[in-house]
Amino acid sequence: MADAPVDVLIIGAGASGAALAWSLADTRMNILCLEQGDWMAPETYPAAGRDWEIRGFGDFSVSPNTRSRPEDYPVNDSDSPIAASMFNAVGGSTILYAAHFPRFRPSDFKVKSVDGIADDWPLDYERLAPYYDENARMMGVAGLAGDPAYPPKAFPLPPVPLGKLGETLAGGFNKLGWHWWPSDSAIATQDYEGRAACINAGPCLTGCAQGAKASTDITYWPVAIRRGVTLKTRCRVREITVGPDGLVDGVIYYDADGTERRQRAEVVVLGCNGIGTPRLLLNSRSKQFPDGLANRSGMVGQNLMFHPYAMVTGLFEERLEGYKGPMGCCLMSQEFYETDRTRGFVRGYSMETLRGLPPVSTALWGMTQGRVPWGADHRRAYDAIFDRSAGMVIICEDLPEGHNRVTLDPELVDGDGIPAPKVTYRLSENSTSMLAHAVARGKEVLEAAGATETFAEAPLPIAGWHLMGTTRMGTDPATSVVNEWGRAHDVKNLFIIDGSIFVTAAGVNPTNTIQALALYIGDMIKKNLANLFD
Amino acid sequence: MSATTTTPLISAAQVRTLTAVLDEIVPPSDDARFPGAGALGLAAYVEQTMAHTPDLQQVITPGLTTLDRLVQARGAESFAALCREDRLALLDELTATEPAFLPTLTFHTYVGYYQHERVLEALHLEPRPPYPKGFEMQSSDLATLLEPVRRRAER
Repeated sequence: MADAPVDVLIIGAGASGAALAWSLADTRMNILCLEQGDWMAPETYPAAGRDWEIRGFGDFSVSPNTRSRPEDYPVNDSDSPIAASMFNAVGGSTILYAAHFPRFRPSDFKVKSVDGIADDWPLDYERLAPYYDENARMMGVAGLAGDPAYPPKAFPLPPVPLGKLGETLAGGFNKLGWHWWPSDSAIATQDYEGRAACINAGPCLTGCAQGAKASTDITYWPVAIRRGVTLKTRCRVREITVGPDGLVDGVIYYDADGTERRQRAEVVVLGCNGIGTPRLLLNSRSKQFPDGLANRSGMVGQNLMFHPYAMVTGLFEERLEGYKGPMGCCLMSQEFYETDRTRGFVRGYSMETLRGLPPVSTALWGMTQGRVPWGADHRRAYDAIFDRSAGMVIICEDLPEGHNRVTLDPELVDGDGIPAPKVTYRLSENSTSMLAHAVARGKEVLEAAGATETFAEAPLPIAGWHLMGTTRMGTDPATSVVNEWGRAHDVKNLFIIDGSIFVTAAGVNPTNTIQALALYIGDMIKKNLANLFD
Repeated sequence: MSATTTTPLISAAQVRTLTAVLDEIVPPSDDARFPGAGALGLAAYVEQTMAHTPDLQQVITPGLTTLDRLVQARGAESFAALCREDRLALLDELTATEPAFLPTLTFHTYVGYYQHERVLEALHLEPRPPYPKGFEMQSSDLATLLEPVRRRAER
């Protein structure tokens, strides 16, 4: 069954797809987005129920293999110490993310020039800066100007509150003389553009019932749709097809009823992120592209980068009111961000403090740590740790390595029979050394803040939510998949706009940079519309 | 018996045993601020959870059955009728043949217990979910807190 052709087809309605759709809407082109998930219903988010914590282990888990919602596809990540995660819906993984929203630093775009490692990006911070600004306005980013770790940047909203917990941790950073700054957060700390202000409820990671956390279903999409973009949900693309001229000519997808349909398009844009995008390209084989669409370089799926995470937690003597405030956004330190080879590794990491564990999570964490036994000592043991925990995740920069990759699993398929992705990943020596350093520094600053005991886990096995590098950007078609404005080297009317085009990973959350790139690519498409296929 | 199930997953006698076991997992606090998990009525929560978790049924029902057999072997009327020392001894014995029972039940007990309104109140929290009320937070004197960071950057 064939649909009427469109000018631009965007696959994926997440962070990048939404930003691009909004950007291109003013061209008045016929733009369609196909999304395999559906619109979320905020009234069903767990935060309104007393069982909200445990739902984060079930239907609102970060892992698609745990959730197994109809719109999820399985991921074989058995050959990786880090489990991959993503969320399929209008809004994509922004539905579940913490909304910690830092930018890359200027050096992150030029690690080869600065540190002699990996590769430089074919663009720099200055090129992307106006798009970071635009994204800040559209998403509503809260923060504090003046961070000495960055070039000047402005925020439409004041920063999220530190609270007693944040002030306690800030005291530790100040005692050691380390850098810290209130987090850049995609959270409306005041009423903003029709969205209600954050109420510091805490369960950001299972969907924001308040609508204060900036997911793209409530930021970019309403405006894009009002401007004429069509968004169809529960439509899962099976493959992108190629015409005899070697250009893409559309997709085959399954609609909400499971019926196979054909959608023709002049331009196809992929926004399925670091696992979904290479998976679709590898599933799109043709005579012209026997190894997968746009894969003449062999680079599709290679150079998978996660951010190896460490989690360091401290126990304090006094109650910290850690159940208040956005869970993942408080303050960030980049004291150990740039390369210092005396540490034994290159590049570095961000320390991002977390709020405290809520009641059920305290009991379960205590149980796994052997700190909260059942029986006569339960009460004393629980009360010694409840609301007395504070800590951080430490995001380590991952370097691109060809053996870390996404391929197609030979057996696993999704609910529509489409081959599922397989993740093969090894932690590098650089990451292992960096994680050890990060854990030691994390414990050091928590003790400086007053922690009487500290705990650490590294790498954090569940933390595979940053997915980057698998269709990398570059100027050389032999070593990259897309050019400096996201156009596939091999296919002039195919664009990729998500984290898979990252050249290097930086040591910060990627979503802000993903969206800034999508907006930049949107502008480049508009500038080159007249001769796009030349 | 759970209101959501038509056929009880465990018998009334097993509910009494379960209730007594729950009171051993999370006993009442000495100052009576925190009730025991059994007295709080969590047996119903466990049964409801079993109703939509077949894996849990495979652990809890056989565990309770074995526990009742151990009680009968001692010549006791019921698990609930035993003194604490004897209860704990039987739970130890149970663990030898049903090793998953106590850890699994403990997990679900903690989940049910620490979302209960009475327990939230005892923790000095408001007995409600986070939304729609959220929490008030005071703003910080960021200028003073960040002064060391700014000074260091200027050097």
